[in-house]
Amino acid sequence: MPAVKEFVTPLKPTWCPGCGNFGMWEALKRALSELDWQKNEFSVVWGIGCHGNGADFLDVQGMHALHGRAVPPATALRLTRPDLKVIVEMGDGDGYGIGLGHFVHALRRNPDLTIIAHDNQIYGLTTGQASPTTEHLMPTVSTPTGVLEQPVNPIGLALAQDATFVARGFAGDIPHLTELYKQALTHKGLAIVDVMQPCVTWNHLNTFQWFRERVYKLEESGWDTSDRAAAFNLSMTTFHDLTCTPEQCKIPIGVFYKREGVPTYEDRVAASAEPGFKRAEQPRDVSAILAGLG
Amino acid sequence: MPQPAPYGREVRIRIGGPAGFGIKAAGQTLARVFARAGYHTFDLTEYPSLIKGGHNTYHLRVSEDEIFSHVMPTDILVALDAPTIALHLGELTSGGAIVFDPHDVAADAIELAGRDDICLVPVPLTDIVYEVGGIKIMRNVVALGAVLGHLEFPLDGLVDSLRHQFAHKAPEIAEQNVAAATRGHVEAANAHCDFPFRLAPRGSVEPFVLADGNEAVGVGALAAGLGFYAAYPMTPASSLLSFMAKHADASSVVVKHTEDEIAAMNMVVGAAFGGTRAMCATSGGGFSLMVEALGFAGVSESAVVVGLFTRPGPATGLPTWTEQSDLRFAIHAAQGEFPRVVLAPGDQTDAFELGWKAFNLADQLQTPVIVLGDTYLSDNRQTQPAFDTAAVTIDRGQLQTTGEVEEYARYRVTDSGVSPRVVPGVVGAQQIVNSYEHDEHGWGAPGEERANRIAQSEKRARKFELAKTLVPKPVEFGPHEAAVSVILFGTTKMPTLEAAKWLAAEGVTVNVLQLVTVWPFPADAVHEFLERSKRSIVIEQNATGQLEGLIREHTLREVGHRLNRTDGRPISPEQVYAFVHDILGRHVELTAAGAIATSEGGR
Repeated sequence: MPAVKEFVTPLKPTWCPGCGNFGMWEALKRALSELDWQKNEFSVVWGIGCHGNGADFLDVQGMHALHGRAVPPATALRLTRPDLKVIVEMGDGDGYGIGLGHFVHALRRNPDLTIIAHDNQIYGLTTGQASPTTEHLMPTVSTPTGVLEQPVNPIGLALAQDATFVARGFAGDIPHLTELYKQALTHKGLAIVDVMQPCVTWNHLNTFQWFRERVYKLEESGWDTSDRAAAFNLSMTTFHDLTCTPEQCKIPIGVFYKREGVPTYEDRVAASAEPGFKRAEQPRDVSAILAGLG
Repeated sequence: MPQPAPYGREVRIRIGGPAGFGIKAAGQTLARVFARAGYHTFDLTEYPSLIKGGHNTYHLRVSEDEIFSHVMPTDILVALDAPTIALHLGELTSGGAIVFDPHDVAADAIELAGRDDICLVPVPLTDIVYEVGGIKIMRNVVALGAVLGHLEFPLDGLVDSLRHQFAHKAPEIAEQNVAAATRGHVEAANAHCDFPFRLAPRGSVEPFVLADGNEAVGVGALAAGLGFYAAYPMTPASSLLSFMAKHADASSVVVKHTEDEIAAMNMVVGAAFGGTRAMCATSGGGFSLMVEALGFAGVSESAVVVGLFTRPGPATGLPTWTEQSDLRFAIHAAQGEFPRVVLAPGDQTDAFELGWKAFNLADQLQTPVIVLGDTYLSDNRQTQPAFDTAAVTIDRGQLQTTGEVEEYARYRVTDSGVSPRVVPGVVGAQQIVNSYEHDEHGWGAPGEERANRIAQSEKRARKFELAKTLVPKPVEFGPHEAAVSVILFGTTKMPTLEAAKWLAAEGVTVNVLQLVTVWPFPADAVHEFLERSKRSIVIEQNATGQLEGLIREHTLREVGHRLNRTDGRPISPEQVYAFVHDILGRHVELTAAGAIATSEGGR
């Protein structure tokens, strides 16, 4: 089993002190260690944002892709490298903003990927603009009079699109998040874990304290993870007024829904049985194709 | 000065009618029949951006001589509707024929605009279809039979072709088609037109390929060991996606029709990261969306191949027509600077060769390689010698896919600029392939240090110098010294070589420098070519003279003359021919349809 510290690079994290990314970083390292994933058995693909800077701190074989574009290269990597497990780390601005289309289409496909969303409900790296998950009417530097749109509902979207593993985590509860990650990483098919990850610098509403007063664990409430309609209904409860009290808004964390045994996208692609580089070991015989063109 | 007849011994057939009448399919069947009988063929499909309706034509040139492009005249016009006759009457050569259905338009109602040299071949296309128990779409098959009957060409080649084509359907379908073609053959023979030129099968046939440019690129890519193809449909690149999808399972290629071109290009980068040979293709609009990820491929040093098959822009432009106005776009697309290679096939044989060579270059240089074509290449077929598949080699450059490594750094600074590359899965190959500037390991934060930025950007730049030694060199056609010298890239090769053949027959020497690689720009070869040119022309299908500008920029030399075209129609050999005569001080009259006025149809 690789020790947690084996997943650490020599670089010191540049996240703000107290950033929710630290908890997510720690939970992922623990999950990888506890699952005994060797460093050559998987890849991680990051988008751009504060979360993406984590590419410098996790010692893996991965890609730091473009803003909003982590899902497509990860999908293709998984499709062409069936010998590798693939993890996507994306941010809320990144994955639910510019990358929302890719997210929805990934849900349609059910590739065998784990998507971890760093959802801090703000643009951190560009200094505090509204993100697609910023709460309705919350003022930010780009929306001084408050966000006029309703926030994107990642859990609801995932369930609507028939994702096979849908969970929400909280960066302030590392042991719980580690267990969620382990379930997601071992799920066959697309697993989405949306993680409430407070931005201590730019989001002064959705703080660690704010979440701690509101989160509750689904597994402790005896939640049935096989009821998709109930999970969809539950996903609506994420949204609340800015002024809601801890008694008024409760935020569920844990696995909303999972379904095993659904064929993955790779299962349906005949060509994905072995690594794609095997195709280019020698020229392919195209005589049959050419015969059809004569 | 009397004009010689440049066209040679040949027949030109144009089939016209509304979209949805099976015009292209019928024409391609005919092309195959003639090619299998030993003729050279070239076809040109013209169609508006519509599924049903609108005027479509398929123009087929059939020749005993080697031919390089389409030409403007028509000898046999197959009118599947009445408007086709009026639209194309002006292209008909003296002695030409019109095959039409008297139910569409009565023979005595056809307005021949005073031409008494046209022969009418009425064939009751619809009646025949119903007589043989067929359906209306089969009118095109009756017409094919009629074309062959008019030429007194035997029917068996068409019969074989139809039986092959419908082999997967119920047996009576093939036989209905054969009966329809046979009836058309008889009807046309009964028309007793005194057609001036007959065709007969020519005996032994050299192995040939009848592929459009997209198919040729696709075969090249598959031969090169392609493992992943991603695309979003866009004319004229769409047919390559269909081609790949058709052959995906048998060739073990993952083919993905993505949600958009952004996903396609990003997926290709992801697949390449895993060591798989990966390609996407699109037209200018889709390439606009891919540009961000093209830069990602550049900075991450990803070995990817992009097919860019252009059409007239800007924006949606003329979706189904041709232009070469994205040359500068291909060369400069994406912010910042990184090395890239842009290859420009001039015909289907080039498309096959560059289709496989692009992958070797991408791997050797670890950078994007763009194959730049256009609609004229993508959509049209000509008989080409069998592709030289034996020449295909695979060079993956510095790539390790198995085993383990020690002290690995993805972006190791090297003299060549190329770093040893190891795919994920190899033990010890910790690396981040990064869209940020990065250090040798791929880490972003240390990448911002000044010394690192210089080291990494200079490392990438050195690959551009290496590229100059690896890319295909310009190809020269014609005599070393010539009266007129042409510089071009891409598909203007085809009409230019055709015109050069005609001019050579008149004793006018023309040499042509085809820039097979347009980036890195082959400055030395162009400079040397211009040094020995008496009169130089740059031929390109755009308004602003993009190639001409590159020549000035890189050689500090002027080109004497320019021939450009921007109406979406391919430059024709007649245009090139007349232009060359013009700069030699002689005037060649072209008809309204663009044919050489005094050629008497060429025979």
